[in-house]
Amino acid sequence: MLGYLSYFILIPMVYIAFATLIFGLIYKFYIIWKAPAPAGTGAIFPKKGSKVSGLIYDAMLVPMAYTKQKGFWFIIMFFHIAFFFLFLGHLELIADFKFIQIIPHRIFLGGGLVGIILMLATLYFLFRRFGTPYREISIPEDFVILLVLFFCILFGSILHLAERYSDWGAVLRVDANVYRNWLQSLIWFKPQLSYTITELSHFTILVLHVLFANIFLMMFPFSKMIHSVFTFLAHYRKRN
Amino acid sequence: MSDIKADVTMDLKGLACPLPVVKVSQQIKKMQVGQILMAETTDPGALADFPAWAKTSGNEIIDTVKDGTTTKFFIKKLK
Amino acid sequence: MEREKVLELKQVIGKKLNRPMLYYLDLCTRCGLCYDTCHVYQGIPKKEYSPVGRAEVVRRVFRKYFKPAGKFFPWWGDAHEFDENLMEELREAAFSCTGCRRCTMFCPFGIDMPYILGIAKELLIAYGNAPEELVMLADSAVEKGKSIDMFKEGFRGVIKDLEQEVQKLIGASSSDGLIPMDKKGANILFVGLSGAHSIIYPAAIFNAAKEDWTLSYFEAVNFGYFAGDSEKSNFIANRIINEAKALGVKEIVIVECGTAYRIPKFLMGPLPFKVSSIVEVIYRYIKEGRIKIKQGIVSEPVTWHDPCQLGRNGGIYEQPREILQIMANDYREMNPNCEYNWCCGGGGGLVALDNEEFRIKSGKPKKEQIEKSGATMVVTACENCHLQLSTISQGYNMGVKVESLTKLVGENLII
Repeated sequence: MLGYLSYFILIPMVYIAFATLIFGLIYKFYIIWKAPAPAGTGAIFPKKGSKVSGLIYDAMLVPMAYTKQKGFWFIIMFFHIAFFFLFLGHLELIADFKFIQIIPHRIFLGGGLVGIILMLATLYFLFRRFGTPYREISIPEDFVILLVLFFCILFGSILHLAERYSDWGAVLRVDANVYRNWLQSLIWFKPQLSYTITELSHFTILVLHVLFANIFLMMFPFSKMIHSVFTFLAHYRKRN
Repeated sequence: MSDIKADVTMDLKGLACPLPVVKVSQQIKKMQVGQILMAETTDPGALADFPAWAKTSGNEIIDTVKDGTTTKFFIKKLK
Repeated sequence: MEREKVLELKQVIGKKLNRPMLYYLDLCTRCGLCYDTCHVYQGIPKKEYSPVGRAEVVRRVFRKYFKPAGKFFPWWGDAHEFDENLMEELREAAFSCTGCRRCTMFCPFGIDMPYILGIAKELLIAYGNAPEELVMLADSAVEKGKSIDMFKEGFRGVIKDLEQEVQKLIGASSSDGLIPMDKKGANILFVGLSGAHSIIYPAAIFNAAKEDWTLSYFEAVNFGYFAGDSEKSNFIANRIINEAKALGVKEIVIVECGTAYRIPKFLMGPLPFKVSSIVEVIYRYIKEGRIKIKQGIVSEPVTWHDPCQLGRNGGIYEQPREILQIMANDYREMNPNCEYNWCCGGGGGLVALDNEEFRIKSGKPKKEQIEKSGATMVVTACENCHLQLSTISQGYNMGVKVESLTKLVGENLII
C-alpha cells in the first residue's frame, strides 16, 4: 500500500501537479484576456523610470516595501532570491547546465544555506501573522500555504543536508544521477522508479518532499501565489 | 417679491459644492408634507440644480425669485 | 437574503469583473504593508479602515460566488455569502474610503484598493443601501443633463449678473461678454461648479489672459462616480464631453475639483480635446507672460495641500507650488508631501455625507501635518479638500485659514 502511495506521489501526482500548474496559469491569463479592458488608466504619479525598466524595478525590487518596512523588505528579498537559487538547484537535478556551473560547485549552490534561509523566512512570515495587525487580516489560506511551503522546504533540506553532511550520505554517496534517472524519465514521459530511488535510506523523506511540492504547485495558480505573475500586470497599469 | 410664506428659511449663500442641494435635501426631510422651504442662494448652478433635484426627489419648486445675484427658491414638500 | 436578490447581486459583481478587477482581486497576499497608509486608519485604528481590510470584504463575497474553493471550502478563503451584516460592512468599507490611492502607491503589488471598492459601491446601489445624499445628487445631475435646455435661459441670466463681479476684479470698462457662453470653436471650454466663486475667479483669469473661452452649462463634479454608479457616472461625464464636442473646443479646463479632473483626463479613454486643470492653465499663463500676479502678497506662513486627484493621481505637483511661491513670502511644505501626502479625508464624495465627526477623526494626520508646518493658511485646488480642511480646522480648533488657489490668483491679478 505504501509502495503504491509512494509511486503515486512520485509519478502520476507529479504529472497532475505540473499539468495543474501550467493549465491553471494559462486559464488564469485566459480569463483576464477575455475580460473587457477598461477605457482609462490607473496611473500614479510621478512615473519614475521608463515603462519597462520602471515596471521591472517596481515588481522585482518592490521599492515601496523598502520605504515602508526596511527589515521586512530584506527578508522578502532573501526569500525570493533564495527561491531563485532553489530553482537553479532543481534544474541541476535534471541535467547539467553549463550556465549554472560558471562557478563550479556541487549541485545546489549555497551548500544547504538556501534551504535554511527559506525555512527561517517562512517561519518568520508565519509567526508574523500571529501578531496584530497581521493576525486580523490573515485568512486560513495564508497559514496553509506557509505550512505547505515550510514542510516542503524542511523535507527538501533534510534530503540535501543528510546527503551532503551526514555519515550516511558519505557511505551511500547519493549522487545526482539517482534523481536524474527518475526526473528525466518523467520529462520524456517514460516514467520509472528504479531501485536506486526506492532503496534510498531517506526515500520516505523524498516522498514527503515531493508530496508537499506537488501540493504547492497545484495551489500556485489558484491561490495568492499568483501574485508572482499578476504583480507585473498591476504595476503596468500604474505606469500606463 | 413673492408673497408666499415659508415655514423654514435657509441661507445658502456662498457655500461650496455640493452643500446647497445637500443642505436643502437634509432640511426638507425634517419637514412635514405640504410645508414650504425657502432657500436663498448665490449659486448660478442652483438655477438648474434645484429644479433637477426637485424633480428627482419628488418635491415642487413653487416659485423662484431672482434678486440681483441672489436667488430664492420656494420648495414645497410633496411626499 | 432572498435567492433572487443574491442572484442579482452576483450579476452586479460579474459586470464589474474587467481585466484589472480580476487581477486585483486575486493579487493580494495580505502582507499588511498598506495597513497604516490610510489616513482613516491613522485616525481610527480599526481593521475595517485599513485598505486591505476594506478590500477583503469585497474579496470575501467574490470568493464565495466566483471561486470553486469559496463555494466548496468557504473557510479556505474566509468566503462569505451576502447578508445584512456583510452589506453593512461593504458600506462601511466603501464610504470610509476617499479614493486617494495612497495605499495603491504603497502596495508592493500595485493593487488599486479603491478600484476594488467599485464593486462594493455598485452592490450597495443594487441593494438600496448606498448613501442617499450621493444617489440624490447623482440623480439630479443626470436629470439636469437630460433637461438642460429648460434651464439654459435662466442660467445665462445669472451669469450676466456674475459678469459684473468679474468686471470689478479686472477693472474692465464693460461687463459685456466677460463670461462667454455657447461660443463655438473657442479654445477652451471651462467647466465650473455650482457656486459663483467657482466661475468668477477663473473668468477673471481667462479675461486677463485674453483667452478665447466659453463657459459650460454643467458643473464639473461627478456624483455618479462618488456614488459608484458606473452608468450615471458615464452619463454625467459625457454631458460635458458631448458639450465640448458640439462646441468644437480644443481643450476643456476643469475647475478646482479633483475627481472632475481625473475622470475626463484619465478614466474616459482618448478624447478629441485636451483636458487640463485650472491650476495647469494658470501656470501656463504665468509662464507665457499672459497674466501677472502680485508678488509676496501673502505674508503669513502658507502651505500647499496636494489634492490626491491632482497630485498622486494627476501628476500636478510643481505648478501650484510655483504659483503659490510667487504670492507667498513664507511658503512652507508639509511633510510628507506630493505623492506621499496624506489625504485630507474629504474626497470620494465623503464631504457630502452627514459624517462630520468621522471626518474630523480621519483628518488627524492632515491636522498634524499642518500644525508641524507652522502654516496659518492652507491653499488647495479642490472644493472637496477645501471643505474638509475647513472642517478639520474647526474640528480641532486650529484657526487655520483655507484658501483656494484660483481665488488667490484671481484676486491678485496685475491688470
